[in-house]
Amino acid sequence: MRGRSLLWPLAVTLAALVAWEAVVAALRVKTLLLPRPSLVAGVLWSRAPLILEHMWPTFYQIVLGFLLSLVGGVVVAVLLTYSEIVRKGFYPLIVVSQIVPKVAVAPLFVVWFGLGDLSRLLLAFLIAFFPIVINTATGLTSVDDDFVRMARGYMGTRRQIFTKIRLPHAMPLIFGGMKISITLAVIGVVVAEFVAAQRGIGYLIVMANGLLDTPLMMAAIAALSLMGLALYGVVAGLERLVVYWQVRTETPRGGFA
Amino acid sequence: MRDSVVVDGVGKTYAGGVEAIREARFRVAPGEFLSLLGPSGCGKSTLLMMIAGLLAPSRGSIRVDDAEVQGPRRDVGIVFQSPVLLPWRTVLDNVLLPVEMLRLRRTDYARRARDLLSMAKVDDFAAKLPHELSGGMKQRVAICRALVHDPALLLMDEPFSALDAMTRDQMGLELLRIWDVHKKTVVFVTHSIREAVFLSDRVLVMSPRPATIGFETDVKLPRPRTMDMQEADEFNRYVGLLRHSIEAGTRP
Ligand SMILES: Nc1ncnc2c1ncn2[C@@H]1O[C@H](COP(=O)(O)OP(=O)(O)O)[C@@H](O)[C@H]1O
Ligand SMILES: [Mg+2]
Repeated sequence: MRGRSLLWPLAVTLAALVAWEAVVAALRVKTLLLPRPSLVAGVLWSRAPLILEHMWPTFYQIVLGFLLSLVGGVVVAVLLTYSEIVRKGFYPLIVVSQIVPKVAVAPLFVVWFGLGDLSRLLLAFLIAFFPIVINTATGLTSVDDDFVRMARGYMGTRRQIFTKIRLPHAMPLIFGGMKISITLAVIGVVVAEFVAAQRGIGYLIVMANGLLDTPLMMAAIAALSLMGLALYGVVAGLERLVVYWQVRTETPRGGFA
Repeated sequence: MRDSVVVDGVGKTYAGGVEAIREARFRVAPGEFLSLLGPSGCGKSTLLMMIAGLLAPSRGSIRVDDAEVQGPRRDVGIVFQSPVLLPWRTVLDNVLLPVEMLRLRRTDYARRARDLLSMAKVDDFAAKLPHELSGGMKQRVAICRALVHDPALLLMDEPFSALDAMTRDQMGLELLRIWDVHKKTVVFVTHSIREAVFLSDRVLVMSPRPATIGFETDVKLPRPRTMDMQEADEFNRYVGLLRHSIEAGTRP
């Protein structure tokens, strides 16, 4: 089942790479403009130590920023659900704050929080935080009234209703938020690295750009994408374990025939 | 013998100004199976939720086991129209939810939960998740959950109305079988005349909103009730009697 669902996307990707390779060779496109995929793969291999060295700080800041936004987002969502003051006073502010394009704030963060890890971490947090808040709050409040009435009928306390009903009910939505959030955390860290950093994949891309080393730039982008994919895969795998009760619809065979 | 439930001059006007119940006054004897019969929207659920302590009456008072109802009580079990099973819990864990909520020892009740499930013929599904069960099976589980903590009073709000006709008759029979073993007081809300006659010792007819209790009758059909009784003249005489009283109530 799972193997088969990956088969088609892999086949399409492979076909695209082959086409790319063929087009670049046939039209003799300059390497500076668009290197062949095989060349990029070669650079990915030969300069692996350099790429890995820059991958590590990017990786841990993504993970840290994501975890921070997960914890912060869930806490804020709980406050939004249970405190009218927070809901009325802060919720509009949180929504409005999302209209400010956070990427544009990156240089400001460098001014405020310095050139170190902190400004990158905070940018990742700020970007990744919102989907968690929205999804968690929606999940906690979208419990059917009948469930709450049933629980109250058996003398369930507010705390019991939260832990035994609202939180598990919100889990599928929280994971939905986490999957968006993890990809946004990647963007946050890399953009912050573009602005000011001495290391990290974002820094490597900018540096390779300055040296007109397009193959290295593309190798760095490929490495970053693979890392993003792996992180997403981890979250999606966790989701399958935690949200075990979600009915996965079995697609009928035969398609639309 | 003292009454299990006393509803004394109870009225309910919702915050928006909707008067759901004008006045209700009745008593339920211990072990009695009482049905509240009335058209949709007449206030049956409202009345039942007030007995359950989930809704406060605007006027009058309700007593359960000689104590004024001021909120949910631990000796009451409730079955709703939908099964309201938690999708992430197995059938057995769903049945044991009241035990957890009431902070009773799970080990003391696990046995009872399994016995109830086997009486309701769903014990094979104890370890399954609710989505693997049919609608009728889910509602059986909901009934087991309502009985797990051994309440004296069982409140049922149109529990079979979402089921197909055949399942529905079957469920009625099985409810009576369980009721026969456990001897609970039952207040059963329904808009089906036949269902009310088939199950009950006594039927109260509610008028359309704002509701009052318009008519009541004892159902003196022998027990245990059987499916065949539904064709008996006596059964249909009760059905006719109740239908006439409902039609009289709906006249402007
Ligand atoms: N929370 C509520 N607020 C205002 N009106 C309500 C509320 N719940 C029910 N009602 C109204 O009260 C009347 C009786 O409702 P209900 O008790 O659910 O009837 P039944 O169970 O007999 O179908 C209906 O007209 C309904 O619209
Ligand atoms: Mg109702």
